[in-house]
Amino acid sequence: MFDPETLIRKGLPKGHFKDRIVRTLLSGVTYSIVLIAALLFGKIVVDGAPVLFKAEAPFVDLEFLTAKNETLHVFDDEKGNRYQLPASQYSAYVVKNGAEAIFNEQTYSYSGGGIIGPIAGTALLTIGSMMLALFFGVSAAIYLSEYAKQSPFIHAVRLAILNLAGIPSIVFGLFGFSVFVLIVPVITQDPSDRSILTIPLMISDYVISFQGWSSSLMAGCATLACMILPVIITASEESLRAVPQGFRDASLAMGATRWQTIRKCVLPFSLPGILTSSLLAITRVAGETAPIMFTAAVAAKDDLPWEGVDGPLDVLSSQVQALPYHIYTLAARIPNSEYTQRAQYGSVFVFLVLVAILSLGSVILRSKLRSKLKW
Amino acid sequence: MKTAIQIKNLNFAYSGKQVLHDVTMDITARQVTAFIGPSGCGKSTLIRCINRINDRIPGAEVTGGSVEVHSIDINRKDIDLQELRRRIGMVFQKYNPFPKSIYENVAFSSRLAGLTKRAELDEIVENALKSSALWEEVKDRLHASAFGLSGGQQQRLCIARAIANQPEILLMDEPCAALDPLATLKIEELISELKKQYTIVIVTHNMSQATRCSDMTAFMYLGKLIEYGPTMDVFERPQDPQTEAYVTGTFG
Amino acid sequence: MQAAAPPNPEAPHRFQKRGFSSEKAIKFFFASNAGLTIVILVLIIVFLLKEGLGFFPGYQRELSVYRIAGLEFVDISRKNLTAHEQLTSVLNRAYFAEINGKSAKELQRYQEASALFNAYTDQIGPTRDLVLNNTQEGSTADSEILTSLRANFQKQKDKALEALPDTPHLSAKERQDLIESIRLRAVDSTEDPPLVVTLTDEYSAAQQKHSEPLRAMRATIDTFESAGYDLSSLVSEMTEAVTVTKEKIQSADILQKDRKTLLAAAENAEDPVERERLKADALASLADKPDIEGPMKLLMERKSACVEVNTKLKESTSGIVKELPTSLTQPEAIRLLDVGRRAWPVFLADLEKTPAAINSWNHQIPVPLSAAISSFLTGKNWVTGGEWQDFYGILPLAVGSLMIAIVALIIAIPTGIGAAIYVNQFASSREQELIKPVIEFIQAIPSVVLGFIGILVFGTILRDVSQWDSLQWIPGFPIEERLNIFTAGCLLALMSIPTIFSLAEDALNNVPSAYAEASEALGASRVQTTFRVIIPAAFSGILAAILLGFGRVIGETMVVLLVAGNRIKIPDFTAGLGAFFQPTHTLTGIIAQELGEVPLGSVHYRALFVVGILLFVVVLAINATAHRFVSKMKH
Repeated sequence: MFDPETLIRKGLPKGHFKDRIVRTLLSGVTYSIVLIAALLFGKIVVDGAPVLFKAEAPFVDLEFLTAKNETLHVFDDEKGNRYQLPASQYSAYVVKNGAEAIFNEQTYSYSGGGIIGPIAGTALLTIGSMMLALFFGVSAAIYLSEYAKQSPFIHAVRLAILNLAGIPSIVFGLFGFSVFVLIVPVITQDPSDRSILTIPLMISDYVISFQGWSSSLMAGCATLACMILPVIITASEESLRAVPQGFRDASLAMGATRWQTIRKCVLPFSLPGILTSSLLAITRVAGETAPIMFTAAVAAKDDLPWEGVDGPLDVLSSQVQALPYHIYTLAARIPNSEYTQRAQYGSVFVFLVLVAILSLGSVILRSKLRSKLKW
Repeated sequence: MKTAIQIKNLNFAYSGKQVLHDVTMDITARQVTAFIGPSGCGKSTLIRCINRINDRIPGAEVTGGSVEVHSIDINRKDIDLQELRRRIGMVFQKYNPFPKSIYENVAFSSRLAGLTKRAELDEIVENALKSSALWEEVKDRLHASAFGLSGGQQQRLCIARAIANQPEILLMDEPCAALDPLATLKIEELISELKKQYTIVIVTHNMSQATRCSDMTAFMYLGKLIEYGPTMDVFERPQDPQTEAYVTGTFG
Repeated sequence: MQAAAPPNPEAPHRFQKRGFSSEKAIKFFFASNAGLTIVILVLIIVFLLKEGLGFFPGYQRELSVYRIAGLEFVDISRKNLTAHEQLTSVLNRAYFAEINGKSAKELQRYQEASALFNAYTDQIGPTRDLVLNNTQEGSTADSEILTSLRANFQKQKDKALEALPDTPHLSAKERQDLIESIRLRAVDSTEDPPLVVTLTDEYSAAQQKHSEPLRAMRATIDTFESAGYDLSSLVSEMTEAVTVTKEKIQSADILQKDRKTLLAAAENAEDPVERERLKADALASLADKPDIEGPMKLLMERKSACVEVNTKLKESTSGIVKELPTSLTQPEAIRLLDVGRRAWPVFLADLEKTPAAINSWNHQIPVPLSAAISSFLTGKNWVTGGEWQDFYGILPLAVGSLMIAIVALIIAIPTGIGAAIYVNQFASSREQELIKPVIEFIQAIPSVVLGFIGILVFGTILRDVSQWDSLQWIPGFPIEERLNIFTAGCLLALMSIPTIFSLAEDALNNVPSAYAEASEALGASRVQTTFRVIIPAAFSGILAAILLGFGRVIGETMVVLLVAGNRIKIPDFTAGLGAFFQPTHTLTGIIAQELGEVPLGSVHYRALFVVGILLFVVVLAINATAHRFVSKMKH
């Protein structure tokens, strides 16, 4: 017979302190992560935001976003006033005042002007690689979720996706370099010495030459697309599978073909999900540096990608600046001084804001999606 | 006859949605009391109020009345919840042994209490397994995974786990719902054996099960206790037309 | 109405498909896109192997040249010379550590005073130069400009005097005097302020004073140092000789390769004249086989001299260890001396083995392919682009990658899993809504940004913190380089926390709620339920999370490239845990750093691809193990 009084605890519950300690420890650990993230972000915002925002109207200074990247010249005039001018304004100054009016001159590479070049390059790389990856990735996902039955082929595809997803990005860089930069075929009139095989086309002098695309926007997009492909496939397949089986059954039962069913009853409902997860994939593509180091990116370039080219093919086959590579250059190749901080923190701030917007967008879209599409 | 559990005007809500309305009943010690009723009538909620396992569900709260175990209101602030649950064992609808060995499953609550001596644990495990009529079947593989057992055996293991530290009351929430008829039969036999020692409350869908095992039966409908009395009376001479309709199979 | 046609047994039934099916074509299209993943994976493997496998024969050839030209022979003696030099350097460092440690007070005072003065001169430098330039004879500046320049100078001077660094070891009066003397300085004065001069003198006097009792030690070190002179000159003589041979062999190799290319071109040439011309070119480029045996004979004649010099070095240095002082007082000096003492027997043992190695060395023993492979996998040197000999040993890189991963995981495992447990088990849903997006945001931060933060923010903070007096008990503090294994590890930890967190949280989430319910019904508290039921049930999933985090850390490039310090050297483990505060280089970083600079198809280029293959294999093995755990969890 038990004594009901034992049900009433005297004082604090058993193991109260142990519970408390464990919970406090765990929450401490968790909030320290949040705190560190906040500190890092705060540091970048505090140092980077002044590049774009000012205290007086109009509050925003878009010059950093719209100007080209240049070398920064820091010098004094004869009165001891300090000037910080990007290369173009500097040469104008020299022409006007003469070289003897420059004292204590120092130059800082990549630190003057703005970052329109890297922004444009990253935008092109992202758009190009996402278009490729979405086209091939969504198609593959459709096959996996709508057509595939258990077979050795499907097994191999799944294994390939799993493995591709784990490959380090630098290995994708090696792959892109050895395939897209050096080997893939091009149609040209004068094949390079490097070409490992040329096939005459019988149309004037044109040949198919396996000489690669060199380091170019194309090669970079292709490399990035290969890297992101498994992510897109997995996310798209998940969205496709989230569409209830009943939709397909109903459509098929009414005599629609499989393709009609997919086009009318599956894709429209899974598209929001696919696009949401694509946003996260964009942050990854835009942020990767290792795969584009040898396949597309260049540290300094005077023209924007679309300037001084003949036709879109020329854009695709020329190198571009890229925001992550630009940040790498700013962090690794130039010293940290009060004159380079603007470029350094400004670029990182812009980049981080872009990433934050994209990931916030995906969080919001996802929660919207969850509340909207419930079946 | 001694009263083990007194439920007085119990009102209960999930996130503001009232699911129990003014339930009042006394449950006698060392008897089997069955809760019957159609799905969603609140019988599971009611049984889960007795060991306050509903606390786990966010938004679930007692909005009025009380549940008393041996005259102690278990919703008091200073109740020792862990001790309460140690004194009130529970078996769930779907057998849910832990992914551990058979031995560790049964010894779980003793280990929680800080018991580490091998000999004592061995004894507790053996007794519990014997009481749940599982000892003969598993004594040679105590350290094998619990998942290797059949469904009925797993459920009996859960019963052994629940009675390992000699609780006062045993709550069973549709213990046979996931079992085949043979396994169900074994559990029912076990229940009649166990009631000599424990106060048993059982929720069941199966009316013949209620007639076979229980001494008292409570019929619930839409969160209200409609009728409560000796099992024979409820099934053969129901007072309430709804009860009659349910036990004769007109609805439910 | 048409009359029903008589049933034709040949015609297909109405439900049967007829002719070409666009459905099939669509299906084939999708299937081929799915197959693209396999194609990419196969291409990756094929091209890594294509570029990488040529490395081993190429490296074998380089090692053969290393041997037949006699460089290997010289290195037998050079190794001892290097060891001797290192030992000398350690002893010298111990000597100066002792003196500087004893003169620490004077050193600090001197440093603080000059730091203050330097801060001042840095600030006023440009304006001062302007004033000086314009007051020089022949300067055309009018008085108006001069006045403004002087005013500007004065402004800068005032500004500089306001923001001077702290001088905790100078008395208030000394500081006051120093600042006053700076204030009163003439514009064109080039002398140091009196206090700086005094403190410089005090410091040298202290050094002088404290070196007195160490005379014996100085003499011992000098004796030791001079014992290596003979070996040093012998090695440099031989070096010159073998370098010439090596260059001959290399240019002969290049000529031979050219000849092959020309002959191949001649084969393919369609025009007979062209063919003849190419053939003639090929024959013309045929160089004489370089004379290896001649110089080798000369080299071998020095065998006895080598043995003799090495033996002499051993004899003259074996006793010196006993003469080293035992009464040093400064901890750093004692530590360094101890390092030297411990290295001594190794040094002598190597010298002991040298004569045998010299005598048994033979340039005619061929270098097998396996030697190239083992030299790659177990080599302790990754030396490239040097004049002497390139070595491709990945041990320093692998050790660097591994140590960084260890630091990262030691930090990320408890935090990532702790946070996962907290969020999954204890956090309210409002907390979850805060924490999860934050961690997702960390995951989205590009690695190059983390590297940037490491260089500009975290590294500097770490170095400053490591100089706090209260933290000097930590081995390796104060750190010498702000970019080191620990810095990189911390940032990679931040990077792998989201991976570990989200996978571990998934694993915990997948534990059926029935377990928790059963456990609580048995009287377990929330914490007991979490630790005794939920975590064990999710264990293999958590293990998979850790492994995938590890794979991510090993494969990460940009952070380590920016933050690891990029020094290709196995960390000095004699520093104990301090080894974690040394700079290093990594497998991923070396590819990113060097691929852009190497000639296509060279041995070095191929070596980078082999490193890539290694990374590929290691990371895939880790991931495969992780996925095995995940599928185990599912069952």
